[in-house]
Amino acid sequence: MLSVRRVTKRFGAAVAVDDASLEVADETVAILGPSGCGKSTLLRVVAGLERPDRGTVHWDGDDITETPVHLRDFGLMFQSFALFPHRTVGQNVAFGLEMQGVDSEECRRRVDEALDWVGMEGFTDRRIDGLSGGEKQRVALARTLAPGPRLVMLDEPLGSLDRLIRDRLMSDIGQLLDETATPAIYVTHDHDEARSIADRIALMRSGRIVQVGTWEQLCTRPADEWVERFLGI
Amino acid sequence: MSTRAGRVALAIVPVGFIGYLFVYPVARILMMSVGEGFGDVLTSASTRSVVWFTLWQAAVSTLLTFVVAMPLTAVLSHFSFPGRSLIRAMVTVPFVLPTVVVGSAFVALGLSNSIWGILAAHVFFNVAVVVRTVGGVWSRLDRGVVEAARSLGASPLTAFVRTTLPILGPSIAAALSIVFLFTFTSFGVVLILGGLTYRTIEVQIYQEATTFLDLGAAGALAILQLVGVVGILWAYGRYQRTRSVGLELAAEARVLRPARSDTERAILWSVVFGTLGLLAAPLVVLVGRSFRGGLAGWEFLVDPGRLAITPGEAITNSLFFAVVGALIATVVGMAAASLISRGSTVVASSFDTVLMLPLGTSAVTIGFGFLVALDEPVDLRGSVLLVPLAHALVAVPFVVRATLPTLRAIRADLREAAAVLGASPRQVFRHVDLAIVARAAMVGAGFAAAVSLGEFGATSFIVRPNSVTIPTLIFRLLGRPGAVTFTGAMALSVILMLLTTALILSIDRLRAGELGEF
Repeated sequence: MLSVRRVTKRFGAAVAVDDASLEVADETVAILGPSGCGKSTLLRVVAGLERPDRGTVHWDGDDITETPVHLRDFGLMFQSFALFPHRTVGQNVAFGLEMQGVDSEECRRRVDEALDWVGMEGFTDRRIDGLSGGEKQRVALARTLAPGPRLVMLDEPLGSLDRLIRDRLMSDIGQLLDETATPAIYVTHDHDEARSIADRIALMRSGRIVQVGTWEQLCTRPADEWVERFLGI
Repeated sequence: MSTRAGRVALAIVPVGFIGYLFVYPVARILMMSVGEGFGDVLTSASTRSVVWFTLWQAAVSTLLTFVVAMPLTAVLSHFSFPGRSLIRAMVTVPFVLPTVVVGSAFVALGLSNSIWGILAAHVFFNVAVVVRTVGGVWSRLDRGVVEAARSLGASPLTAFVRTTLPILGPSIAAALSIVFLFTFTSFGVVLILGGLTYRTIEVQIYQEATTFLDLGAAGALAILQLVGVVGILWAYGRYQRTRSVGLELAAEARVLRPARSDTERAILWSVVFGTLGLLAAPLVVLVGRSFRGGLAGWEFLVDPGRLAITPGEAITNSLFFAVVGALIATVVGMAAASLISRGSTVVASSFDTVLMLPLGTSAVTIGFGFLVALDEPVDLRGSVLLVPLAHALVAVPFVVRATLPTLRAIRADLREAAAVLGASPRQVFRHVDLAIVARAAMVGAGFAAAVSLGEFGATSFIVRPNSVTIPTLIFRLLGRPGAVTFTGAMALSVILMLLTTALILSIDRLRAGELGEF
């Protein structure tokens, strides 16, 4: 279980994350908030890409705040996808497995499996620069899931896609997270996405986590007027 | 290398290299020439006529290059057809051919001692600049822009003049200034084809220094030319800053379409074959001329009789210099490129310009500077490294151009993605930074080797009997009497052409899909 305890992160004078606490058990938690509210920074703190100024991050009770990013065994799917342009689709998906030292036969099998999950079988040898936005998104997702991380984080994974592809991928992602039974954090600014994918939603505003609960809980008992307006109740 | 110390270490290599081999020699030239009647040289009648010739032949060459290149550029930017990328690659070949080979080819065509030979050779060289620079934007220009103009009531011509042309403006200006710069500082072609009649400033510098042994006059002309080059680069930079707009370029596959009607197909293929024919003719004649009198020219290469330097030695020298020069240029160029890609924009862009200077300044000035300045504090003039260092200096901008876009493309998120997937900092460097740059570095090294193989202007100043290269030997052979020697020069030109072409084609394979500005 992931536990974020009273994390604060500043950039110069600006406070990106302000005393935020959050727990994620075997479930999908959405962090929902307007752009610039600190969602991505919080995600980067959990991933180990940013060090918090205050507060700690724990996994199953162990303090991992000082653990370097590459030893955390968390998966992070970047908003920009961050696919390696010098590697093929298959080599991108294989990267995490190679870092684990998985042997090449096993690696190939798991790459095929991961591409199969996202409906990209047969794309193994394709170059990244020939892919459409939706295809890149799927490869990025496969790359994140292939090594079997103990926590999956998705940063606005559907942000740059058009409506039609979004709807289809959204249900695919939800299904995949269920099937792999991996705890997940899903960052978004879109109510519909948060509502349809997440078990619980953490509402974030100006660096603070304002309220955490299921969609129904948020709607029936909004914490304040801002939550009410933001959710459009 | 994010630390300050790391960046300083990174800076020492290119700054020291350019400083000692270029800035310092130019300063010495300036000091030397100012004392000796600087003004007299610049105002003399012969200087005036040389400057006038340099300017007008550059302007006419640039104009003619456009006239020849634009139809092909237009066709390549509209139609998809089998062999399109091959044709783009073939058009590039003349641009990378050594000037001496092109000079020989036009001599073989019987155009020596003629202004037409000079102009034709300049067009031959620079068609690729227009096709690649303008075509690179035009072939990826979203047709929606033109269609929007049409739907707002513009005729096809009006739509072209009011939308396409202004959008292409910056790239056309870029191509114009590059071609003008190249022809303004043209050396090998004019030296070989101009005879005693036609001289650019570049050729005049060479002749003042080597024939008349008037180093003061040569220096004054070198400074004059440097001022001209800086002026052209400045005007170009200013234009680009004020006029360039952020372009949303589409994928070529979405812009290009097959030729639909018979008329379109007729236009397409006549332009393609017409231009290719024009470009191929000199080379075909060159190869043919090397076989005149059977294999006599080729036998001459193997057994040159009483020639002081054999062609075999020249080939060995050239290959050795190409390897060493490419190595030096790659190390210096990559250090410079990573500095530029990480530095602040002001530092980066000014450093970028300083680096481009050797490319534009004229190879002759570089060779002249080596001759004048590299005796102290370190005497390099007797060193075996002198020629490769000069070649590296000319080649560094090519390495920077070839690697900079790739270095800029390594975004922070790629490193982060690798780290999240379990890569340690060392693995991140190996699998992301090194892996991405490796191919670009090889492309840069290949370009540097090609530049070295063909380099003539600087080499002709600093070459010694034991360091004669293929281009300098060809030039010597062209100047000797005798039919067999002449045919031998043609044969040696063919060898140089084949070496360079093989190198460039292997680079092109590496580059497939790679980022790069050339």
